[in-house]
Amino acid sequence: MNTITKQTFQQLREQPLISIVSIVGTAFSLFLIMLVVMIQQVKVAPYAPESNRDRMLHVKFGSVQQGEGSGNGPLAISTINTIYKKMKTPEAVTTYMYPTKQLLSMDGTKSLTADVELTDADFWRVFNFCFIDGKPYSEADFKAGIALAVIDKTTARQLFGTGTGVAGRQFKLKHIPYKVSGVVNDVSTLATSSYAQIWIPYTTDKEACDMTWEDNIMGYFSVTILAHSEADKAKIRDEADANLNKFNLTIKNKGMKLISRNRPYDTEKESIDFGANIEPDVAAQHRMQWITFIILLIVPAVNLSSMTHSRLRQRLSEIGIRRAFGCTRWSIANQILTENMIVTLCAGILGLLLSIACAYCFNASLFTPLYTNYSNAPLVNISILLHLSTFGYALTFCFVLNLLSTGIPAWHACRTSIINDLNGRR
Amino acid sequence: MNRKLFKQIRNEWRSNLWILVELLIVSVVMWFIADFMYVRITDYNSPRGFDISHCYLIKINKLTPNSPDFNPSDTLEKKDMEELLNRLQHGPEIEAASLSQNSYPYNGSNASIGINYDTIQTGSGSIIRRWVTPDFVKVFRYEGANGESPEQLAELLKHDNILISDNIFIPHKILSLHNYIGKSFKLSTDTTRSFRLGAALKPIKYYDFESGKDSYCCLYKMDMNHFGNWCELCVRVKDNMDNNFMDNLWKDADKHLRVGNLYVSDIKSFSDIRTNFQRSQMNDMRNHLVGGAFLMLNIFLGILGTFWFRTQQRKGEIALFKALGSTNKDIFRREIIEGLILLSVATIFAIIIDLNMAYANLNEWHDGVTLESGRFIFSVLISYLLIALMIVIGIWFPAKKAMKIQPAEALHEE
Repeated sequence: MNTITKQTFQQLREQPLISIVSIVGTAFSLFLIMLVVMIQQVKVAPYAPESNRDRMLHVKFGSVQQGEGSGNGPLAISTINTIYKKMKTPEAVTTYMYPTKQLLSMDGTKSLTADVELTDADFWRVFNFCFIDGKPYSEADFKAGIALAVIDKTTARQLFGTGTGVAGRQFKLKHIPYKVSGVVNDVSTLATSSYAQIWIPYTTDKEACDMTWEDNIMGYFSVTILAHSEADKAKIRDEADANLNKFNLTIKNKGMKLISRNRPYDTEKESIDFGANIEPDVAAQHRMQWITFIILLIVPAVNLSSMTHSRLRQRLSEIGIRRAFGCTRWSIANQILTENMIVTLCAGILGLLLSIACAYCFNASLFTPLYTNYSNAPLVNISILLHLSTFGYALTFCFVLNLLSTGIPAWHACRTSIINDLNGRR
Repeated sequence: MNRKLFKQIRNEWRSNLWILVELLIVSVVMWFIADFMYVRITDYNSPRGFDISHCYLIKINKLTPNSPDFNPSDTLEKKDMEELLNRLQHGPEIEAASLSQNSYPYNGSNASIGINYDTIQTGSGSIIRRWVTPDFVKVFRYEGANGESPEQLAELLKHDNILISDNIFIPHKILSLHNYIGKSFKLSTDTTRSFRLGAALKPIKYYDFESGKDSYCCLYKMDMNHFGNWCELCVRVKDNMDNNFMDNLWKDADKHLRVGNLYVSDIKSFSDIRTNFQRSQMNDMRNHLVGGAFLMLNIFLGILGTFWFRTQQRKGEIALFKALGSTNKDIFRREIIEGLILLSVATIFAIIIDLNMAYANLNEWHDGVTLESGRFIFSVLISYLLIALMIVIGIWFPAKKAMKIQPAEALHEE
């Protein structure tokens, strides 16, 4: 092994241009593949406060059909309560309204705006927020409609000048006095269901709860369900469907029907659920991703093959001499493969570093979720980006690339007869 | 000389096959990208029909009984809204301010409308209803098809005329509304009365990435009876006074823009609204561009590597050429032409694949078609030129090296 490594480095040094060309080519391909993987990972990988993404199911929208027309959008709280909230199988079910920009003020200081999400008390069971001060509002607070708010660190600083010790203090939200119940770490806009800067019980905003349409079936609320285990998901879907069918019987006499388009969705499907009137096509998304991967892999592989091919021709006489002196085909093939493996591995590490650097520098443009109106860039931290699985993908790609680009020429080089090798002929 | 070159390429078909395969794949993908970019860029550059520079969206909210500031005796929300609009319109830095519903550009929510004239019925669905106060056309600087200014259009709206995009009856083989101005139309939203067409509008695009050919809309006046805090309040700031407008408005909001129970709850600039609305399209464009750059880099590296070795192998041949009277320039040209011949051969096959893909609608749609002769030739040409450029740069270094070969030394080694 040691000799082979030494030989490889000798080879690399002998042809610096070619070494650079092959390393840079492979590194770029891996770099782009890693970016594609990261952009995908960021949508599904678990991180606080959505650490249980693998156990989550979402119902963002519904559609009401009436005659030929249909109304599409989020649901009314009463609809959610009769269909999803009363399910027995899940660990917890939360009802919330996606954030809207609202006005904050402290008496006498400058007003500012923040993204405010209306939630119930179960929200704090489904999502695991990191409280740095105080605690969430309880079920009793929620039911009583007490004006309490959980706020994030940045907003706390903007309002009170400090991030800690502000629990219990008062501020005005929409010109209504609210008391801070707890302070949490800032949440990335990538956590699409749980992101906000301020969370308040929806019972404190009667107007939002009463905003309903399509005969009080539709409103402005969505649902996230936390299952006990991944295996429970199918059972939850069945229960939700059964409840939906029961609900539809009650509105049948109005000539209406609520359809869910196979919701609740898991996190991956939810991440591309942009319209209430279409079911997202996860398979098509995967197909596009595979085509991208294949193009990103094949082109540099052909490139490397072409180069390995030319390089081997140069070394044919060397191979011929070694074989004349009794070196086995296997050992030569082995050397060529190892040689390229080392090159690809170097390139892989370079590509990985490049992709991480790029992810940091361009995080806003790379990761901002589509169709959101938040003005702040998404927070991306190492815990979101660096997953063992991601690095595993990269390494596997490395080896596939290596196999594709050197396997064929290596096999050719070993199969030609010694005489041809010595003559440098194919 | 070229015949010899062909022979040489044929003799080295094994290693040329690799290059050919690579060039073929890259040609097809580059064509796809060029085609995509062509569609996006031509759409982007076609006239929008509106102007959002210096425009802002102001969100108005209503106090609720939970607030200590709530005034239960104030029930004239419509009147309050009118007063608020009025105050804004008279602000020193404001050029125009308007209220509307589902009307501003880059708006995800739409309402549609059907338009009937005599026996022509457009049906509803594809025509966007813009329900606005007259100054809306001044805020977004709409223009009439006959050159009417935004001010003239606003005046027409004020007198209860409707404005319709000029291209609306094209599906009914009527190319322009020119002869219909002043005639009365029926709208599906209110069939009890008829509306006079005040002017035809230049087509208003829904967003930047469509050609505007199929964008239809109809504007009619919203009166005070329909005002409410759900209305979109859009303002245009005077060109020379648009510095820190948002900050200034926030400072002012509590003093001047609190009318009854209404208050300002958010201000957004339209350039932000546009960025958010078109993120998906912009991301697609970025991804295609990065993909194209990646492929070009690969072609460059691959050609550079392969020809580097070739030059080393052909040392003897090149020396012989030189000994027999070839100039440095001949050697250089010969190498470059070899690369371009390979690309041309690959492009012939690529065109066959491209044509099939376009025929099967696998590329980008543009106004309902995927295969247009001009666009196809253009994208093929662009992809050929870009790859050719990379090949020339890639061969440049090995060819330079080849030029420097000293025949005496090289032949001596042989």
